Amino acid sequence: MSLLVNSLRRLRSHPQLHKIPPYISLLCIVGGIIWLLLLPLNQYSRQTYISENALLPGQVHTYFAGSEQNIFRGYREELRSVVKESGGEAHSSRENNVLWIDTISAIFKTAGLPTATQYFEDHAAGNLTSGTNIYSVLHAPRGDGTEAIMLLAPQQNARGEHNINGIALLLTLARYFKRWSLWSKDIIFLITPDTDGGPQAWISAYHSTHDPQTVESLPLKSGALQGAICVDLPFDHRFEKISISYDGINGQLPNLDLVNTAVSVASGQMGIGTTIQGMHHHDDSYRARLMTMLQGMISQAVGHGTGAHSVFMPYHIDAITLTAAGDGWQDEMALGRTVESIFRSLNNLLEHFHQSFFFYLLMQANRFVSIGTYLPSAMAVAAGFTIMAIHLWIRSGHVELRSELPGQCINAEAALAEKPSLDAHGLAHPPPNRQTQHIDRQLLKPILLILLAHLSGLIPLYLSHHTTYSHLPQTSLFTSFILLILPTLVSALSTLLPAQQYNLTKSLSLLLLGLSLSALATLNFSLSLALGLLCTPILFATRDRSIPGYLSRVALMVISPMGLWLLASTYFAFWVGNPGRVGDVLARMAFGWNVLGAWGVGVGIWGVWWPAWVVVATLAMTREVREGERG
Amino acid sequence: MLRLFLCLVGLILALRIQSTAAESDYQESLHLQPLPLGALLASFAFRSNESVTSFGNQNFRFFPRSLGQILQHSNTKELHLRFSTGRWNADTWGARPWQGKKEGGTGVELWAWIDAGDDEESFHKWTTLTQSLSGLFCASLNFVDSTRTTRPVRSFSPEGHHEVSKDHLHLLHGVLPGEVVCTENLTPFLKLLPCKGKAGIASLLDGHKVFDASWQSMSIDVRPVCPTGADECHIEILQTIDMVLDIERAKRPRDNPIPRPFPADQLSCDESKPYHSHDTCYPKESTEEIGWSIEEVFGRKIPGACPLIDEEWKPLCLHVPHERKVYVPFGAFEVKNPPSESTEYRCYHFRPEEVFNLEVTPQKLNTQLKLPHEPLRAERTIVGHGAANGGIRTILTNPSPLEPVQLVYFENLPWFMRPFIHTLKADITSSSPSSPPNNTYTPSNWQVIKEMYYVPAIDRQRGTQLELLLSIPASSTVTLTYDFEKAILRYTEYPPDANRGFNVAPAVIKVLNQTYTTITTHRSISDLSVASIGLREGTRDGNVYIRTTSLLLTLPTPDFSMPYNVIILTSTVMALAFGSIFNLLVRRFVGADEAPGYDLRGFRDRVGGRLVRIRDRFRGRKAEKVD
Repeated sequence: MSLLVNSLRRLRSHPQLHKIPPYISLLCIVGGIIWLLLLPLNQYSRQTYISENALLPGQVHTYFAGSEQNIFRGYREELRSVVKESGGEAHSSRENNVLWIDTISAIFKTAGLPTATQYFEDHAAGNLTSGTNIYSVLHAPRGDGTEAIMLLAPQQNARGEHNINGIALLLTLARYFKRWSLWSKDIIFLITPDTDGGPQAWISAYHSTHDPQTVESLPLKSGALQGAICVDLPFDHRFEKISISYDGINGQLPNLDLVNTAVSVASGQMGIGTTIQGMHHHDDSYRARLMTMLQGMISQAVGHGTGAHSVFMPYHIDAITLTAAGDGWQDEMALGRTVESIFRSLNNLLEHFHQSFFFYLLMQANRFVSIGTYLPSAMAVAAGFTIMAIHLWIRSGHVELRSELPGQCINAEAALAEKPSLDAHGLAHPPPNRQTQHIDRQLLKPILLILLAHLSGLIPLYLSHHTTYSHLPQTSLFTSFILLILPTLVSALSTLLPAQQYNLTKSLSLLLLGLSLSALATLNFSLSLALGLLCTPILFATRDRSIPGYLSRVALMVISPMGLWLLASTYFAFWVGNPGRVGDVLARMAFGWNVLGAWGVGVGIWGVWWPAWVVVATLAMTREVREGERG
Repeated sequence: MLRLFLCLVGLILALRIQSTAAESDYQESLHLQPLPLGALLASFAFRSNESVTSFGNQNFRFFPRSLGQILQHSNTKELHLRFSTGRWNADTWGARPWQGKKEGGTGVELWAWIDAGDDEESFHKWTTLTQSLSGLFCASLNFVDSTRTTRPVRSFSPEGHHEVSKDHLHLLHGVLPGEVVCTENLTPFLKLLPCKGKAGIASLLDGHKVFDASWQSMSIDVRPVCPTGADECHIEILQTIDMVLDIERAKRPRDNPIPRPFPADQLSCDESKPYHSHDTCYPKESTEEIGWSIEEVFGRKIPGACPLIDEEWKPLCLHVPHERKVYVPFGAFEVKNPPSESTEYRCYHFRPEEVFNLEVTPQKLNTQLKLPHEPLRAERTIVGHGAANGGIRTILTNPSPLEPVQLVYFENLPWFMRPFIHTLKADITSSSPSSPPNNTYTPSNWQVIKEMYYVPAIDRQRGTQLELLLSIPASSTVTLTYDFEKAILRYTEYPPDANRGFNVAPAVIKVLNQTYTTITTHRSISDLSVASIGLREGTRDGNVYIRTTSLLLTLPTPDFSMPYNVIILTSTVMALAFGSIFNLLVRRFVGADEAPGYDLRGFRDRVGGRLVRIRDRFRGRKAEKVD
């Protein structure tokens, strides 16, 4: 036993060993990327399958056809004439919207369904958006009102296209579903003016978590929502494929069973192709799979949702959007039959969706990797930071005694040749004539600095989400510039920093970064991985006065929240020629933060990336204390 | 002397038989009322009587023996059993039939007054009762254990005339909100009837139709009744089935029940629309009342009146305006009520041997029957989301512009739902803007919660019981809220399909002291069915019962494969460890050369040795012979 302890202690003080950790860190990050690139391969991804036996997708005959199409056309023409009359504004005031609301309410009432409306206002970035949700509840003929499923159609889809056809389809389906007596759950039909504020107002009021000042309470309620399907048919011509969107707010995903049901019904029963993530020409190649997966990861990392279904995920309601895409020979009735069949499957559910995966990456409508397979890549990246932090921590505990043995290294053989002296307990002591010496760690200043850096993140976080829309671009550019030169300004206060302080501060900062990233990886894998990769310059930034040192500092400056933002603004302003785009993106972020509760990007940048960046950037601007200097 | 005594005995016996014949009788009635949006309310009621003496002697005539013996065995004096599914849609259908008294919460509800010395004995009898009823009605009533049993204080009061002192009468109440009511409950229900569903209106009760209804409630009430002037009390059983059928759905033939889209030429379209064409149709609201007949809606005709009812009795009443055309077979005759009454209806008389059908034609009506509205609207929901805690919010609206409403609100929560009573709040949130301003005035010191009766839960033993006496000012809404915490169950305590959530029983609301006049104007059918059956005094107390919908509570649910994984893994490790350690402990290790015999070489040597000995013996003999 003592032999093992001795050899371990000897190995611990081996100088070569202290050079390895940075390479392990690099290996972790490269390994994480390679791991990700391996995922689309057949060996690592799996074919999707239905876990919940109760769903039985595509096992029923669908009857939504025939004269229902005449009624669909009738509703569509009626809605069109209303839109023409009122100018077609989705976000109009309550008064202008009266005709629209009355028409839809009348259609629901003729079908024998109780109808209610909900007025809401959203305040974000000084903008006020308002609208009215119209919804109706089809009570399950023999149900007790404890469970419900939902069909919704936004007036305008996520790309701002009018969805009159989708709404007409919803109304026709509502009338059709009313005639069936087999529903075990209530069906809620919801028509919202948009894909974010409207559904968000409705779902928060449904759970009574809304602010009664801005969002009306719901006069009509049902039971616990088990699933929601959003229909989006933004054009008049026939379509080719159904595009399924499934990303939720903050990168939450619906249960894979729901996506699988939709895919299985559409492609298996109806013979309609399905696509995901806008990859309409998926040829099942490695490249297409990788692109689909990366698209999904970007959307997950941004976490702002991709349709009206997104806002349901935080309430543990599984939801997807079915969007008609392409130009083919499927008509709206085919989409209607798909919805009918999916609803029959949802109707079969005895339990809330729980059987299948909640954490997955799809690389094709019917191929996925589960969390067990993909998580190591983000964890490896996060581990890279932690390993570096441990390395720096160890280094901060020693001071190199350059004066005694300048520029000399004891090689491995020499160290091994040393006979370690044994104390009374038989434990070996390190060789007495090594070049380092233990010193106490001064933790106060590093901790204060890191705390300050974290607190300072709150200022840009607040500014980016509470500045009014008109001032957003200027404020963002000005703040970015200030923040970018902040490290230089801070380091100017005290240029000289002892090596121990440098190592300790960086170590603690990286430790927190690694911790945050690995915690984030379990919540939002894509965001964690993206942040991890963007933080790589922080890992390798040094204060060496050498060419690699200068290069690392330039990389640190460019790959920073502000650096990238300034580059993007310049790109939009000069190359794209659309400087307003910058403001739009910021307004969108502010809306997501304030209304939808999408905290991922805000907290990720200003709570994880920025504190680590500002600390390390400040450190990189300092110089080491030399002989005879005082820090 | 002896002769005199025998005479007396004979006289008494004769009197008793005569009185029994007079006391026990049977009545049944069916009330049909079309409701808006193509619905039809069918209200069946069946009542039998038995005198207390014959009941005690187990001399059953119309009273079902199976149920009577259970009641005697469990000392039950008054019994109320309810099976309900679906929801009563008060917005469209108006007030509930029977003022909500013949209705239970979703699933099965049972309450009874049991004659017992103390609480413990009463619970023992209650268990006997639930177990027996469970068998009789094929319902899971045996799951009404101590956690699901409560003893309400204000919500229920005995309906019968009880001779037992109040101290010995124990009220116990149990609910099974998750119970699915189906055919297996209907069949025993019909078997209790004297005509067994073979004749009379009960023959219309076919499982396919009853359980296709939008709302349906079956009830059984047993109570002692002492009519004024009569010398003996009765035991009365009243069975009711109320259901709301969707006429269009019920009319579909059984062999083709799929609601296929209509052929395009049968659609009723709004032809005034500019875009109307052969392939574009905006559906038109039908102003015409739907036509229907008993045969279409119930799938069969009535094979004739039940022969056990009184000759003069009119078992079927139809509540439509007098202008509506109704066709009945030749032998049956119709009696319309005098137009002086507030509501219009007609009743039919038909004989046991006559097949009866009733046909109502599609017709555009000038007068509509006014539907009474309910004295209170109640909505109860779970608010918040997440697995740790939540809240219950009940919204109680008093639509009356003049009268405040007093009510008893009763809740029975499962033990794993832990309410925080300090968060219980009752806010008068809004007054309806349409009412005149002088009536919307509510004093600022209006006290909503007048009385409160609260029994806290004990884990795994008793549920929470909460009874509140509330008062709601005219035309205002009271929001009752409280927070609760969700307990974490042991993993064996989860029911099958645990991820569905747990059903929480509906709240029972008893609206107090509604004056009888308002009820009459509010709802005709309930009074009529009461009146025609002759139960007026029993339901005249003016209380209205309303039940909220049941709730689905999601609890933190484990991944159930996890415990099994753990069990399998630990068992494997245990088996391996145990196996090797046991092996080490019990096995004696010795060197290979130290081992005694029984190895192949030893065996071979021994066999060889024996062979050599035999050979030697032979040799020896040979040698001897040679010698």
